[in-house]
Amino acid sequence: MNTKIRHARLLAFVTNLAILSFSAPVFAVDDGARAYWKTREGSTVISFQYLNLNLQASGAQQFAPGEYIYPNSDVEGNIVVGSWARHMTLFNRASSFAVNLAGGSVQADIGVSLPSQFVPPGETAGVAFSQSSSGYADPIVQLDINLIGTSQLKSNVHLFNYEPTWTVDIAAMLGIPVGEYESDKLVNLGLNRWWGRIALPIKYHFGVFSPGYMGSFEIIPSVWLFEDNDDFIGQRLENDPIWQLEAHLTQDFTRSLFGSIDLLYRKGFQSTIGGVETGGELDIGDLGYALNFTSTDNLMIRTSISSNVFGDSDVDNSAIRIQFVYVWHKSSENFKKLQQH
Amino acid sequence: MNTKRKNLLFNPALATMLTLTLTIVTMQVNAQTQSRPNILLIVADDMGYSDLGSYGGEIKTPVLDELAQQGMRYTDFYVSPTCSVTRSMLLSGTDNHIAGLGNMGELTAPNQVGKPGYEGVLNKRVASVAELLQDSGYHTYMVGKWHLGIKPDQIPHARGFERDFSTLVGGGDHFDDGWNIEWQIPRMPYTEDGLPVKKLPRDFYSTKNYTDKTIQFIEEGRKDKKPFFAYMAFTAPHGPLQLPDDWLRRYKNRYDEGWDGIRQQRIARMQELGIVDKGVNTADRLFFLPRSTTLTPAVRVMQGRTMELYAGMIEYMDDQIGRVFDYLKSIDEYDNTVVIFISDNGAEGNNLRAMVSGQMGTFGFLHAMNNFAEEGHNSLGRKGTFAEYGPAWAQVSMAPFRLYKGFLAEGGTRSPLIISGPGVKGAGGINKKAVLHVKDIAPTILELAGIKHPATYKGRKIEPMQGKSWVGMLNGHTQSPRGAGDWLGWELFGNRAIRQGDWKISWHYQPLGTEDWQLFNLAEDPGEQYDLTDKYPKKRKELIALWGEYVKTNGVIIGTRSPFEQMSKQLPNRVPESDSYPPVRGMEAIPFEKLLELMNQ
Repeated sequence: MNTKIRHARLLAFVTNLAILSFSAPVFAVDDGARAYWKTREGSTVISFQYLNLNLQASGAQQFAPGEYIYPNSDVEGNIVVGSWARHMTLFNRASSFAVNLAGGSVQADIGVSLPSQFVPPGETAGVAFSQSSSGYADPIVQLDINLIGTSQLKSNVHLFNYEPTWTVDIAAMLGIPVGEYESDKLVNLGLNRWWGRIALPIKYHFGVFSPGYMGSFEIIPSVWLFEDNDDFIGQRLENDPIWQLEAHLTQDFTRSLFGSIDLLYRKGFQSTIGGVETGGELDIGDLGYALNFTSTDNLMIRTSISSNVFGDSDVDNSAIRIQFVYVWHKSSENFKKLQQH
Repeated sequence: MNTKRKNLLFNPALATMLTLTLTIVTMQVNAQTQSRPNILLIVADDMGYSDLGSYGGEIKTPVLDELAQQGMRYTDFYVSPTCSVTRSMLLSGTDNHIAGLGNMGELTAPNQVGKPGYEGVLNKRVASVAELLQDSGYHTYMVGKWHLGIKPDQIPHARGFERDFSTLVGGGDHFDDGWNIEWQIPRMPYTEDGLPVKKLPRDFYSTKNYTDKTIQFIEEGRKDKKPFFAYMAFTAPHGPLQLPDDWLRRYKNRYDEGWDGIRQQRIARMQELGIVDKGVNTADRLFFLPRSTTLTPAVRVMQGRTMELYAGMIEYMDDQIGRVFDYLKSIDEYDNTVVIFISDNGAEGNNLRAMVSGQMGTFGFLHAMNNFAEEGHNSLGRKGTFAEYGPAWAQVSMAPFRLYKGFLAEGGTRSPLIISGPGVKGAGGINKKAVLHVKDIAPTILELAGIKHPATYKGRKIEPMQGKSWVGMLNGHTQSPRGAGDWLGWELFGNRAIRQGDWKISWHYQPLGTEDWQLFNLAEDPGEQYDLTDKYPKKRKELIALWGEYVKTNGVIIGTRSPFEQMSKQLPNRVPESDSYPPVRGMEAIPFEKLLELMNQ
């Protein structure tokens, strides 16, 4: 009968909608497509991702959070990020809270023309050298609250009635300076200072808000703010904010596959070391794409690649990422248990 | 010779006589042309009895409600329980078993194949009302659903409609994809003025385009001042329930409270309006349908979505009918137009999609995979979806009656009927005395047009009309075209019924019937809840005798196969329900939002 069909449709709907949301910000500076999509309160998201970063800089660049760009250097990072996120309701708005724990290793080959301010103890100015670091990076916590377009999603009723068009969120991220840091090294996974980001994610949903037909244009202006690092090779490192604009055009291809075109632009981050302005500003524009495959009711696999295509010509970078996202909600898990009887 | 002729022609007296004669003839023709009303016959497809506001529904139908205020509503108007069968009687004025639709063509039983009256198309034993009107000087237009034959000599253009924009089959996609519900003809064949339509416009939506064409036909034909007969056979709200995007959420969350509450509200309004008498027995919820208060809010929202679509389709149709009325007013023809509005059968409570999709591995299933497989909650109602609202909402649409389309209970055969226009007395009134039938419409139209039904048509003998003209009733001379001894009969898919006065007998396959005759008194029990067989055996016997007469008169052949014969295996189990289980009695009083709050806790 219709009722049976519709119960099956209910399960499909709830599980599919649950899997839509990544929720957890990734370790890299971009959040990724559909990171701010909301799902039912009480949904838990666990994400595990591997990032391979390659960066070459010929000019006087400084390092940015999540990426390590040194002047005249060739850097490779292999980073693993584990994330936990929980969807909730705050102030009657759909919200999420996330914690990211990252770790891995970074290897940097530093060229001969490293400015003297950057030369670490034990190394000689004008001589190429290598450095590496491994361990944990600074943990990150993030809180995201919708302002416009997504009121509470406390129940399946709210999910059924949820057909967003324009949404605006506010998100705040905080990096906690407990990651691996050695003050006499250029290459570190921790930043040795409090840092954070304020973002204003804006989305426009087009197409039918139903798996297989959804599309979105997402734009996320944000600003990164940094406390001073008072022990950067024995000196004080000050950094200007990074002004960042992230954008994604996403489209479902099938119920279980969507793709996105991703753009990331960053500017700012002028460094001052020991009171002396050093190097230039960041001016990097990356373009990439991602494919997202929903393999089961709970599991999604995402792969993406991005590379620097505009901005400062001194920098070449690329990032390859594979991410596993597992989402569940108590009610949909229990629903499945009952379906098996 | 020539001179004489010349003299005759120039004879002043003769010339005066000729001139006078010509003038009188011309005046008579003009008078006849001007006095004959236009006729606008509007048929909704699978719309329920209580859906219109003027019949107690909560669906917004201001145009048809206004029409009801200008004209009359009738409470006891009957159709057949399925569409093509009704349409055969509508256009022929005689019983479906004579007109060729003894069974739906698609479901003809093996023992009915090749038998007279079971051609599955409007046969040549009848003349369509359009043919007779066309021959008498009417413009005849048709838009929408034909479902009475697809061969060149069976299509609207061949059966009396000078202009048409029609889909020849029973149902399908309302958009330009145009998939047919039946795989045998994967795309719905459309004709325009008798020629195949090769491609529908990209922005095609059935109800809108049928309305556009109606206005176009009338506009293009009105120069000669001839009256018109326009047959608007909408395909709304037949499944798939589909709407243009900007109408999809018009009733968002309106039906979240569930079918029981909405049905109770409708019955209360019907009693206020006088459509249904207070104190009569209304039908119980069917045994396999759960009480809506036992369903979680999420499931109610999900189930309510389909009813939202259904309601939207009816409001959209109402809106488009308003366009036609506005146009007629703009050309000063509205006041000279008799408007008749009906539905073709009860609301659709069967799982049509499952029926046409068939089993995995069949062509039907392949057709469904290719054309209407989309299931998403937010997708429903758009292209590629086949939303239906199911038996529980169909029971709401057919309140206060039992069952729905396909059955010979009142829920399958009662239809709203609104008539307005010149000669219709009693504006805003409700006639509850007349027992009317769809086969009455053709003789009524012919009488309005001043046409006598002929014994032969184009050299062939045709069957007389069985229907009774309503003209005497419309102009207030009588309350009903039928007397106490008159009766009506039905047979379809092996189910059967007879109504005479307030009495009705019906025979239905199990489990929705007993496979025996049941007797009901419709005045007290329109919900057909109490079988009075034991109390009034004589009355039952009398009506069974009329059934025999019906079979003989119309050549009824009970099929050896029926879509309902296996129904006991298809329906869900009886819903367990008593005063103590499930413990939900009284929950109807809890507002939906409060219930949601409780569930969230």
